[in-house]
Amino acid sequence: MTPKKALNYAYYPGCSLHASAGEYDLSTRELFKKLDIGLTEVPDWFCCGATPAHNVDELLSLSLCAKNLELAEQVEGDLAVACAACFSRLKTAQHVLAESDIKRRQVEKAIDAPVPLTSNVKHLLDILARDLGLEQLEQAVTKPLAGLKVACYYGCLLTRPTDVPNLDCVEAPTIMEDILKAAGAETVAWSHRMECCGANFTLSRPGVVIQLSHAILDSAKEAGADCIMVACPLCHGNLDIRQKEIEGVYNTEYAMPVFYITQLVGLATGLGADKLGLDALIVNPMPLLKEKGLV
Amino acid sequence: MKKKKMLLSTETMDVDFVRKVEALSGTSVRRCFQCGKCSAGCPMATFMEHPPNRVVRLLQLGQWQRILAGRSIWYCASCETCSTRCPNKVHLASIMDALRKLSWDAEGPSKESYVQLANRLFLQNIRTYGRQYEMRLAAVFNVKSGQFLKDLMLGPKLISKGKLKMFHQKNKNMTEIEKIFGRIEEMRKNGEAL
Ligand code: SF4
Ligand code: SF4
Repeated sequence: MTPKKALNYAYYPGCSLHASAGEYDLSTRELFKKLDIGLTEVPDWFCCGATPAHNVDELLSLSLCAKNLELAEQVEGDLAVACAACFSRLKTAQHVLAESDIKRRQVEKAIDAPVPLTSNVKHLLDILARDLGLEQLEQAVTKPLAGLKVACYYGCLLTRPTDVPNLDCVEAPTIMEDILKAAGAETVAWSHRMECCGANFTLSRPGVVIQLSHAILDSAKEAGADCIMVACPLCHGNLDIRQKEIEGVYNTEYAMPVFYITQLVGLATGLGADKLGLDALIVNPMPLLKEKGLV
Repeated sequence: MKKKKMLLSTETMDVDFVRKVEALSGTSVRRCFQCGKCSAGCPMATFMEHPPNRVVRLLQLGQWQRILAGRSIWYCASCETCSTRCPNKVHLASIMDALRKLSWDAEGPSKESYVQLANRLFLQNIRTYGRQYEMRLAAVFNVKSGQFLKDLMLGPKLISKGKLKMFHQKNKNMTEIEKIFGRIEEMRKNGEAL
């Protein structure tokens, strides 16, 4: 057996993880500690601009991302990103700036520094499945999630855009399923795993979000899933926080817990509910976890 | 809905505008052969009066006013499905970005002010705090859009779960962010950037 290599990362949590998605941050830190993976938060990181910035001002969006890449240079190791939107923005910016001399010159002027083009931006999924590796992960599992049927939800941004070197196959990714199988869970085949939840319309057009997220919840239920797993705070907001509202509009009941990947994998490695922020979930996951004997 | 006849004339075929869109998005609209694959996969097409493929067609014909007058660009969710699937590598999601920026710059005749309002507040938050302050974002949006009751039911529950923070996270290094905004404004004033 090859000796275990020490894994250390610069950590970019992004705004949501410091606010509405606190349980994603908490469970990430706890899981990584448990797996012996070092995380050091990038000092003074800024908002990446998410969708609103690139929606109307590409130069601003690229500059904010470049500034964060520059700040991340202070910490040793690849950059670990938890939010799918931050991940997609940072990766895309790096790609666009490597391709276009004009844009790179503009951005370097805006941030008054060279843009690090070769630093490695990695989503947590990538770190778990490839850097740590599925075998290592399986060895860390002490409480397999036996009997839990999970619908893995990718949403839009984890694997897109295509031209940016990315996480997994753009139309048929399996990385989430692979990780969950290593954690002992069952995964269901379902139709909506990459459909859009309406993410950035949650404030301005909640009606759109309700319609799209309803289709996702419906599809997961139809496939016989007990719960949904996500790796993005925006997807989580729409599917978990708005679930009651969606049930009201469509006069139906899902009671479908929506977990972050780090929460489910955390459970499998023996971390307790308090270390994973399970009480912060709006749809109470406890009845399901008790029924399956997982808590 | 009554269909208006589309008149093609030199006045409505503004090629300069289309060139700007192409420069901003780094994509050529001429590559599109109207297969419709982008629209077939677009989750928002049902909300748009011009689905993605028609947006490209209108650009090919220089009819950009018709796009900006409608809601299509403001109903695009930036999910990148269209760009991912286009057989001709038309980067439609970037075209949507470029169109929104040009419309935003011109304060164009958009009916979709809610989306613009949300975007504007989001960017203001970055300039003021360096990060998003979700509670303020939601509160100011509701006041400014006159939707006082919207999400009232969600509020208390989210606060009790610690999901909406009463106090904001603020970056310590705010002079840096202000400099970035300032330099970009300067570059635009000097015509060094679009
Ligand atoms: S998928 Fe590409 S080629 Fe086909 S209609 Fe859309 S933009 Fe045109
Ligand atoms: S990026 Fe916009 S236009 Fe393209 S598929 Fe998604 S919602 Fe539709």
